[in-house]
Amino acid sequence: MDLITGLLTTAFLAGGVLALAAIGEVLAERVGVVNLGVEGLMAMGAVTGIATVTATHSPSLGFLAALTIGAAFGAAFAFATVIVRANQVLCGLALTLMGTGLAQTIGRGYSGMPAVATFEPIVVPGLSEIPILGKALFSQNILLYLIYIILPVGLSYVMFYTRHGMNMRAVGENPAAADAAGISVRAIRFLYVTAGAALAGGAGGYLTLAFVPSWSDGVVAGRGWIAVALVIFAGYRPGMAALSGLLFGLITALGFVGQARGWPVAPAFLSMLPYLGTLAFIIVPVIAWKNMRRTMAAPAALGEPYYRNVR
Amino acid sequence: MALRIQRMPSSTPMIALAARVVAVVLALLFTALILAMNGHAPLDLAGEVLSSSLFDDFGLQDLGVIFIPLMLTGLSVAIGQQIGTWNIGAEGQFYAGAFAAAAIGLFVPAPDWLSILMMVAGGFAAGALWILIPTLAKAYADVSELISTLVLNFVAALLVYYVATGPWHDRMTNSATPAIPAEIPELWGVIHWGFPFAILLAIVLSLVLSNTKWGYEVRLSGSNPSAAKYAGIPVRRHLITVMLLSGAVAGLAGMLEVAGTVHRLQGGISNNFGYIGIMVAVLARGSLVGVIFAGAFMAFIQNSGIILQTEGLTTSSVLAMTGLILFLTAIGEELSYYRITREKI
Repeated sequence: MDLITGLLTTAFLAGGVLALAAIGEVLAERVGVVNLGVEGLMAMGAVTGIATVTATHSPSLGFLAALTIGAAFGAAFAFATVIVRANQVLCGLALTLMGTGLAQTIGRGYSGMPAVATFEPIVVPGLSEIPILGKALFSQNILLYLIYIILPVGLSYVMFYTRHGMNMRAVGENPAAADAAGISVRAIRFLYVTAGAALAGGAGGYLTLAFVPSWSDGVVAGRGWIAVALVIFAGYRPGMAALSGLLFGLITALGFVGQARGWPVAPAFLSMLPYLGTLAFIIVPVIAWKNMRRTMAAPAALGEPYYRNVR
Repeated sequence: MALRIQRMPSSTPMIALAARVVAVVLALLFTALILAMNGHAPLDLAGEVLSSSLFDDFGLQDLGVIFIPLMLTGLSVAIGQQIGTWNIGAEGQFYAGAFAAAAIGLFVPAPDWLSILMMVAGGFAAGALWILIPTLAKAYADVSELISTLVLNFVAALLVYYVATGPWHDRMTNSATPAIPAEIPELWGVIHWGFPFAILLAIVLSLVLSNTKWGYEVRLSGSNPSAAKYAGIPVRRHLITVMLLSGAVAGLAGMLEVAGTVHRLQGGISNNFGYIGIMVAVLARGSLVGVIFAGAFMAFIQNSGIILQTEGLTTSSVLAMTGLILFLTAIGEELSYYRITREKI
């Protein structure tokens, strides 16, 4: 029993990073922009979070600062990809290199130190006593409620039940038609790419303020890339993105439990699990769920810059 | 007379090159500004970099040693680009090639020359094997190679770290394997025969691509897959061959690093070479010969970072600057399609 409780608690905690970043990437990809810079945005968010908390001793301010730095770098990325319409793959890779390099340069002074203040678990009296699930659901830090409930529910509502959400999806599916209908393709794209990048920065902040919680050079460890992959698996839906994050948290938790319990597998191989899982996650759906393709498919204009005067 | 800004369907090589030069200069200026704001003297640093790399025999040799892996990972990415794919996994294929080379060098007893030949073959094969799953997924299920090639980088890095610190580790260091007996002979100082071999490989592949029917079909499959398919070109088969070749070349880079430069296998042996290789290919605009020059330039940038470590700068700041160059190059590439034209009213 303890094993399952521990596994679930860690799964929710570890999955939060991926869920938050994946929800952010859903926003960008739904309006037609692939942001491959998530890894770099997370690194910047992580180091900004730890720097802010060291200076102010407030994890909330740290998280806010992480969101802000994500938005700032996201706006630069959006300027390049939406306004100038430069190649999205290249700009994303550039963002990853810049963010990772810059974060490591800034982070030298914070390396290895634990965060001076973190988001502590809030124990809900009574409910947290429920066997198995209680601790996993009702003894967690406050951000997890934002990540698993507020954001997915709120964004799903906006995206699928409001006029604004229809406009947003139209921009990702057929920008020319959206443009003709009077929707500003550039404004919508710029807004959601920046907002998505802010969430990626926030995911980095979550990493150093609630999950690890400390800064080291390789702390992001490919989670940004896994988040990008999860979006495909999640069929570009915020709710599914949160759930996929959780599922991946479970895979990560399995690795942790394995190491803690001394399973006869080298830690390096347990650490490979999330990456191999990612590979399976992007290949299996295409082969197994052929019929789901229409509902789970990528936005039709994904990755394509929009020129009003071409065609 | 009125001036009009217009986006053309293509851009000329000269303007594209000019856009790259401007991007690089802007990135360097920006970096110099940041350095100056942090109390460094950018001009003195630049002078030091130039005098200890380009105007110094040992410096030139260091440059050459970094050039080999960078040019080859760049070549790997550029090969993938010929058929319209982005091999973001050169880093992992590099590790795989290094792993195979070390395995052969350490555990297969053979005379040196035979050992080296087997390591070359092993490096090629391991690199190709490492990109096999993403290749098949792309060819048969249309799974984007961007992420599938990338995640395998982490797996390869973990695998190499595990064997170098675990089962294969040297009793003295604990962080690397023992020295590998067979070494690629040196050509000039520390520069080994991998240097001319790598350049020759780029030239030969470039000639094959531009002068054979196969090369023509590959390039057509890359620029317009549906037209190529309609013309009866086996697009899928070409895609598989080209992606495996791309992986193999990155694997060769890893093999040369082990057998020619480092002489043992250690964790982190790749030094981001795979990622910087993407930058090399982008600067070269997908030209296989251009990779030689872009590789030399990026080797200079990376080497500058190593020289400046004594001044308190880190290799991470060079990584950040590489990202900035890539960012500005991408913007410059797009802007190079625009022309200002005059029109009579």
